[in-house]
Amino acid sequence: MRADATLTLNSVINSDSHRLLRRLLILSFLLLASAGLSLCLGSFPTPPLQVLNTLAAPQSSDIAFIIWELRLPRIALAILVGAALAIAGAILQSIVRNPLASPDVIGITSGAALAAVVFLSLLSSTLSIHWLPVAAMLGALVSALLVVSLAWKSGISPSRMVLVGIGLAAAMGAGTTLLIVISDDSAAMTAYVWLTGSLYAAQWNDVWGLLPWLVVAVPISLLFARHADAMALGDSVAEGLGVAILRSRLVLLACSVALAGAAVAFAGGLSFVGLIAPHLAAKLVGRNLARLVPASALVGALIVLYADLLGRVAFLPKDLPAGIFVAGIGAPFFVYLLHKSRARF
Amino acid sequence: MSVLLLTVTALTSFIAAADTPNSPPEPPSIVTLYQGATDSAVALGLTPIGVVDSWLEKPMYRYLRDALDSVEHVGLETQPNLEKIAWLNPDLVIASDFRHAQIAPLLNAIAPTVSAPTVFNFKTTLTMVANATDREAEARELLQHWDARVVDFRQQIAVKLGSDWPQKVAVVRFKSDHVRIYTSGFAGSILKELGFEQPETLQSQRWGMKLSSTENIPVLDADALFILLEPDDPAIADNYQHWASHPLWQQLSAVQSGRVFEVDPVSWMMGGGILAANAMLDDLYSRYGLLQPGAAQHQACLTRSSDHGKPASC
Repeated sequence: MRADATLTLNSVINSDSHRLLRRLLILSFLLLASAGLSLCLGSFPTPPLQVLNTLAAPQSSDIAFIIWELRLPRIALAILVGAALAIAGAILQSIVRNPLASPDVIGITSGAALAAVVFLSLLSSTLSIHWLPVAAMLGALVSALLVVSLAWKSGISPSRMVLVGIGLAAAMGAGTTLLIVISDDSAAMTAYVWLTGSLYAAQWNDVWGLLPWLVVAVPISLLFARHADAMALGDSVAEGLGVAILRSRLVLLACSVALAGAAVAFAGGLSFVGLIAPHLAAKLVGRNLARLVPASALVGALIVLYADLLGRVAFLPKDLPAGIFVAGIGAPFFVYLLHKSRARF
Repeated sequence: MSVLLLTVTALTSFIAAADTPNSPPEPPSIVTLYQGATDSAVALGLTPIGVVDSWLEKPMYRYLRDALDSVEHVGLETQPNLEKIAWLNPDLVIASDFRHAQIAPLLNAIAPTVSAPTVFNFKTTLTMVANATDREAEARELLQHWDARVVDFRQQIAVKLGSDWPQKVAVVRFKSDHVRIYTSGFAGSILKELGFEQPETLQSQRWGMKLSSTENIPVLDADALFILLEPDDPAIADNYQHWASHPLWQQLSAVQSGRVFEVDPVSWMMGGGILAANAMLDDLYSRYGLLQPGAAQHQACLTRSSDHGKPASC
């Protein structure tokens, strides 16, 4: 009798993890196919065979330049940015236990934005534009540190952190607006594009600049994801299960800050992805952070990839910032999923 | 298919070249990535193969439309479409560090690129475009013509206005929810060259000032105001009406002396090249009731320079 029950439980777990694996595989395949599609589309569509040829045997021709130097790095950066923001959002939503949390909540995006606008309106005449990602990254780190230290009260309480974060984000938003108001038209225009978020002119350097952050932060997040799931049951339960709450929370928070800060540094204010992608992913694989991390990463990558594809080809010859389309793509899906899940329950 | 198209284009141009072996060398095919560069290219008698969209009168300013009617557009000045530029295969790209520093490596990979530090200085832009396309003599001529006009304007206006000269003036751009005063930039530097001065309140400003409340109207106390509106946007006209009907506005000395001029934002700000600068100067001559020496000749030069491929010889 007892052995029987264990067997059933095992098969339930097995079929569940099979389903997870299948869904992740489908998402990965979708992402790969979308990247392929995006690689074929541009100012003029390129036949898939020619794209494959160019990828297989790089030669120096116009089409090779367009595919290797213009389309490919941009697609790669879109995928990395989407994945990083989505994972950062998933982690935060899990730590804070609030579905409306996103990298904005602990001031990462607004800190990066303020730093970027300070750079654009005050420093851009003395420093090369290539320092902009560094400035944005510093802004994100400083503001996250500020939020955590202001919210510190013998440990981190998620609700205190949210309140401090929202307050600080509002203050920094005011600073950003003030700077845009007092800066000249052109700096203001560049600042607006940055705040919208754009993958325009992504180069391999940007891809190599962002990749290490993911390589380091994603495995650590996965490692600590179990602790977050225990914490989701309440701090005392988690402690009972042997989780070092403060350490886990800080590590996860650091991962989230690093991922979101790095993504924002290279792509500007695309932060809506961090809010919406984890929700979409949760509808597919559930709220368990260990599952949510890979699923959100794939969903986030898909959203940013399509947003950028639309920006590139929907209004030719204009090349528009991806940020314009992120909400446009994410929100309808979100509403659809909400509607579907309401019908089910 | 696009490759086929490219091949066909290459072939036809090859055949065309073979047909006329003694014709002068083809002008370089260029892509201009900011408004002033497009204006300068046209002034030098070049027809770019690709240009960026204009800011107003989209997709191209009316004064450049005749010259550029069949030219490809490569998107916005802030985010020009790199792929489209690559497809066009130009000999030369004309950019500005100010807007395009980030994409400079990619532009250079597509074609040799020259880049001006800012987008506002029409003389730098003209000289740069001319140097890169072997048209130094034409540029020198255009600039000499400009200098002569500046000298003439300064003499005439000093005589005409007497003790009212030099005038303190402000360039005021109305937007739908605020007002911007420009002290430097394209119009500001030309006004300075012509001998105009700025109201004391604005002298310390780096680029100008943004006003969002009618309380700030007294800042605009100048001998003359040049008002930039956008004809396509009724909200801007409404905001102008709102400001202009304010009691403080009525007390401004420019208003009382009748020197509030609504001027064309394209020639005063957006055009950014020598053709726009000359049009702005024309405007100033007529606003102050001054006679242009050889006015007819100058007009002819402007029209001719917008003809296809012919250098502006004035």
